[in-house]
Amino acid sequence: MSIRLDGVGLTHPGGFRALEKLDLTIAAGERVAIIGPSGAGKTTLLRLLGTGLNPSAGRLSLLDNDPTQLRGRTLRTLRTRIGLIHQSPPLPPRQRVVTAVLAGRLGQWSLPRALASLCYPLDAEGARAALEPLDLADKLYARCDQLSGGQLQRVGIARVLYQGADLLLADEPVSAMDPVLADHTLALLNRIADERGITLVASLHAVDLALRHFPRVIGLRDGKILFDCAASDVTDNDLNGLYANDSLLGAASESAPTIAALQENLIRTAPRCF
Amino acid sequence: MSRRLEALLWVSAIIAALIASFSYLGMDLLGLFRGDSPEQMLSYAQSFFPPETAPDWLSKIARGALETLAISAIGTLLAALAGAVLSLFAAGRLGRITKSLSRLLLNTLRSVPDLVWAALMVLAAGLGPFAGTLAIALHTAGVLGRLFAEALENAPVEPAQALRDAGAGPVAAFCYGTLPNVMPQWVAYSLYRWENNIRMAAVLGFVGAGGLGQMLYVTLSLFQQSRAMTVILAMIIMVLLVDALSAWLRARLG
Repeated sequence: MSIRLDGVGLTHPGGFRALEKLDLTIAAGERVAIIGPSGAGKTTLLRLLGTGLNPSAGRLSLLDNDPTQLRGRTLRTLRTRIGLIHQSPPLPPRQRVVTAVLAGRLGQWSLPRALASLCYPLDAEGARAALEPLDLADKLYARCDQLSGGQLQRVGIARVLYQGADLLLADEPVSAMDPVLADHTLALLNRIADERGITLVASLHAVDLALRHFPRVIGLRDGKILFDCAASDVTDNDLNGLYANDSLLGAASESAPTIAALQENLIRTAPRCF
Repeated sequence: MSRRLEALLWVSAIIAALIASFSYLGMDLLGLFRGDSPEQMLSYAQSFFPPETAPDWLSKIARGALETLAISAIGTLLAALAGAVLSLFAAGRLGRITKSLSRLLLNTLRSVPDLVWAALMVLAAGLGPFAGTLAIALHTAGVLGRLFAEALENAPVEPAQALRDAGAGPVAAFCYGTLPNVMPQWVAYSLYRWENNIRMAAVLGFVGAGGLGQMLYVTLSLFQQSRAMTVILAMIIMVLLVDALSAWLRARLG
C-alpha cells in the first residue's frame, strides 16, 4: 500500500480547516489525478503526502511508514523516496540547471560528494538524461533565471525524476505550459510512472487532461472528497457539483453548462491566488 | 510671527554655541593669517616637493604598498569567513539564544572602531602587520556579519525547504538552496569592505600596525617631507586602482 489516510484532518494554525476526515487508499503503482476548485485543499493534501505538513487528526501512512512517528535519519530516508513537483519550482535564480537537477539526489549523497558537486557537477550525464525526455537537454548549463515558467516547471520535473522516488507527487505540474506541451509532459510523467512502477498523484486544474491521462480521478471540494472513481466513470453531474459556484450560478445556467464554459467562467470571474 | 521668533531663537542659539566652542578650545583662526604664518605654511608645503624618487626608496614604497594590500586582503578574508559563520547564528537559523548572543558579539565587534582595535592589537600582538590584520579582521567581521545576516533573512526559505522535504541534510540544503541566493550579495559586500579596508590599512600604520601608514608616520616624524610625499602619492594611486577594480568586479556580479 503506497498511501493510506484514515480520518485525516488538517487545521491550519489560523484555525482554517483545510482538510476534513479524509479516508483514502492508493495502491503502489496507481496513477491518480486530484481535481477541484481553487482553495479545495489540493495543495495542502499534496504537502501532507510529501511530509511537508503533519495531519492534525487521523492516521497517515506513506510507503508503510507513519511520517509523524519518524525523526532524523529515518524521516530523511522516507523523504528521499517521495518526490514533490512544485507548481512554481523553488529554484535559486542564479543556479545552473544541471545543479538544480542534481540537487534531487542530495538525500542519497554524502555531504562531501554534495559539496564537491556544487563546485563541479559530478553527474552531469545523469542530469542530461533526466532533462532529455523533457526536451531541455540543451539548457543543461543555462541559469534558472534565463528560463521561462514552463521550462522551470520541466526542470522541477527533471529534478524529481532524477531523485528516483517511489512516490511521485505533482502540484499543478503543467500550469505554466501551453496545451500541447502540457499534454506531452503529462503523458511523459504517466509513462515514466508506469515503466518504473511508481505511484503518481497529481493535482490538476485542467479537467480534460486529468480525465485523459489518469486512470483514477478524485474530486476534492472544501477539504472533502466528493467523488473517487475511475476516469471513465466521472459524469458531467459530478463535475458540475465539484465546480458549482454560488456566485456564478446565474451565468452558468444561462449558457448550457459544459465543463469548458464553466471553467472559462471560473477563470474569468473567480479570484485566483497563483 | 511665532515661527519667525523660533527661527531667530535657533540661529542665535547656534551662534552662541559656536562662540562658546571657540572660546572653550582657545582657537585662534585669525592666527593662521597673521605675521609670517602664510609664509611658513607655504615653505612647509614646498618642502614636500619634489617627491623623493630614489630607486631604493621607491622599492621600499612598493614593499610597503604590498604590505598594506596584504593586510587589507587577509583581514577582509578572515572577516568574511568569521562573518559568514556568525551571520548564520545571527539570522536565527540555529536557535534563538545563539541568535541574540551572536548579535551582541557582532555589535561589539562593529562598534569599536578599527583604529581602536589596532591600538589594542598592537599591545596584544606587537608592532607590525599582524596587529593591523587582526584589527581589520575584527572590526570588519562585525560589519560583514551584520550585512550577511540581513541578506540571509531576506533570502526565500522555500528552495532549501523543498530540498529538506526531498530528504537532503541541513548543510546540503543550505548550500544548494540558500547559498546561491545570498552569495552574490555576500561577495559584493566583501569587495566593498575590502575597498574601505585598504584605505584603513594605510592609516592603521600610524598606531604601529605596519604598511604604508607606518612609513608615512616615520618619515613625517623625521621631517623627511619629500619622502612622505612619495608615500602619500603611492597611497592615492593604490586606492584609486583598487576602487576601480572593485567597482568593475561588483558591476560584473550585479
